[in-house]
Amino acid sequence: MAKKVVVDPITRIEGHLKIEVEVENGKVKDAWSSGTMARGFEAMLTGKDPRDASYITSRFCGVCYSVHQLASARALDAAFGAQVPWGGNLIRNLVMGAEYIYDHVLHFYQLSALDYIDIMAVANYKGKDKELLAVKDKIVGLVKAKDTYPLTPRYAPDEFTVKDPDLVISAVNHYLKALKMHAKARNMGAIWGGRTPHYQNIVVGGVTSYPDLNQWARFRTMLDEQKKFIEEVYIPDVLTFGKGPLWPLAKMGVGGGHYNYLSYGDFPKDSAGKDLVFPAGVIIGLDPANIKVDPVDTKKITESVKYAWYKAKNPVHPYDGEQVYDLDKKGAYTFVKAPRYDGKAMEVGPFARMIVAKNPDVIGLVKEGAKPGAVARHAARAIETKLIADACYVWLDQLLTEMTKPGFKIHDTAHWDPPESGMGAGFHEAPRGGLGHWIKIKDKKIENYQAVVPSTWNASPRCENGVRGQYEESLIGAPVPDPENPINVGRIIRSFDPCLACAIHIIDPQTNEIRKFLIE
Amino acid sequence: MRKKTVSSAADSTGGETISPLKIVILGVGNLLLSDEGVGVHVANELVKMDLPPEVSVVEGGTDGFRLLNVITEADRLIVIDAVKGDAEAGSIYRFDIGKVQNCPSGFKTSVHQIGILEVIDLSGLIGKTPHTTVIGVEPKSLEMGMELTPEIKSKIPRIIELVFEELKKILPLN
Repeated sequence: MAKKVVVDPITRIEGHLKIEVEVENGKVKDAWSSGTMARGFEAMLTGKDPRDASYITSRFCGVCYSVHQLASARALDAAFGAQVPWGGNLIRNLVMGAEYIYDHVLHFYQLSALDYIDIMAVANYKGKDKELLAVKDKIVGLVKAKDTYPLTPRYAPDEFTVKDPDLVISAVNHYLKALKMHAKARNMGAIWGGRTPHYQNIVVGGVTSYPDLNQWARFRTMLDEQKKFIEEVYIPDVLTFGKGPLWPLAKMGVGGGHYNYLSYGDFPKDSAGKDLVFPAGVIIGLDPANIKVDPVDTKKITESVKYAWYKAKNPVHPYDGEQVYDLDKKGAYTFVKAPRYDGKAMEVGPFARMIVAKNPDVIGLVKEGAKPGAVARHAARAIETKLIADACYVWLDQLLTEMTKPGFKIHDTAHWDPPESGMGAGFHEAPRGGLGHWIKIKDKKIENYQAVVPSTWNASPRCENGVRGQYEESLIGAPVPDPENPINVGRIIRSFDPCLACAIHIIDPQTNEIRKFLIE
Repeated sequence: MRKKTVSSAADSTGGETISPLKIVILGVGNLLLSDEGVGVHVANELVKMDLPPEVSVVEGGTDGFRLLNVITEADRLIVIDAVKGDAEAGSIYRFDIGKVQNCPSGFKTSVHQIGILEVIDLSGLIGKTPHTTVIGVEPKSLEMGMELTPEIKSKIPRIIELVFEELKKILPLN
């Protein structure tokens, strides 16, 4: 008998993602991914000055705002005909580089690691390391005080859970260190961004403020510290776990999905823009022995609304997308549309980028026997964090050279005013995956605006011909021996870094006591 | 000169506490969902005002985890946010963190969401948890829109007065 299991919400950060799976004979037989909150912020942009778009879109999401700001500015660059000077691009790259470092470290330690370790094992630590003993005392103290949030495991440990006290206590120690590291990484982007959250410096045509040497040096000092953590803690941890206790999960390829990957390509290493940190490409039906990468043609992107709560319409390119809700639509189960590339459901994100790039470290893991899936996604994420950190050094050096040139420019001021009419697309490989913004301008105002965000690709529902989205497909066959404890469902979905935040932030104390605090 | 910044992050190399006492007023919310953004609107008013040098105002948007740096660097935190408490729209709440149950019911079987209260809790894992006071406003509308409803907008001067009352309690000499 098939049994339905619902995991809601699945995100550890603000989000509204519900996953439903049908389990039969201890395995997932079918799956449905559902975004339970209407978005449609795009509608607010219609009629506004196009230059407002990069600020307004940065408020789309409470978690990954700067990525919208950049994708939006790039869409405007295209529509305005602006040529961003290399100096402006370097600063954009550095701001986003800091975001990557922050985002990926947070994802691994705070949002994912607890899916794989039995935190209670720290109590069995018998070693003498003072630092680790302090961690043990801290965690045991929290358990005694019944104050283990947010370290409480969501599910009971299973056969794959790491229970070795030495490994677990080291991981928990790094969890705490990672918290400190990303409290610091947060400040890096603000050096150029002017503030955080919601940077102010990225606008159509480039960036708004000239860098100085003091900022440059501060960024570099902070980068040194982050790079050290990435190389000495983050990557070794991912490899220790991935190639150690989690190797069976990696070899099984739990969470593989469609094996279709899309990377728009991003982060030029030089002013010619040809050499990218993340190359662009499409892979359909990955064959690890013979990886075939095709060029990206964004005209092949369409969005289906057949299973989403929007007014029925044939699939259209995002330029022509709309948000007209139909909450009574038969068969619909989500507010997320179904983007397809040439009709295919795609995965976007770190693994897509690294496999499209034919990254030697990722290929090496595959050759050793790892299959694309949840564990491989964590590995790809760690590997690309180092690529970005290394690239930040290259960009810093280039920025220093640019800064000393006479006539150093960061903005194309000749294209600040909106055109009478125009259209443009802006793409950015955000930490979570490929992000696209599309704008149409008429009478110097926004006529239509659409964003296809990374989680729209990954969390998409079925499309016109019934093909599942990538989350859904990646769950098929996943082992769920105990329907009350669907730990593998959590592992798989969280390996994508799910986020449908977009972005309610109200405090809801969920207690009747709140009225006591009413003062007027 | 009196210090008045939107975010201290740009002046910081990270982690350090700026002496002697650092008071952070943190306005949070989503600017695109009308009254949900009340904390942001209040923060934007406060940054225009003359505040004691110990005080910085941070407009936190809808950030969660990422406000950790702001929170761990504060000795005293005043959060302004929309609060759902089923009272009449425009009602104002004041409570200290610790007196409200942080964990939504049922989180043991589901996966937890991280909100501002949880991040304050998390800050305790890597350092101190600042003594935190929330000044909350019951929203009228959470519809899309960048303007507050008139009912909530009219409460802004009163919310600012309440923030100053908190500051007086913390800094009696000023």
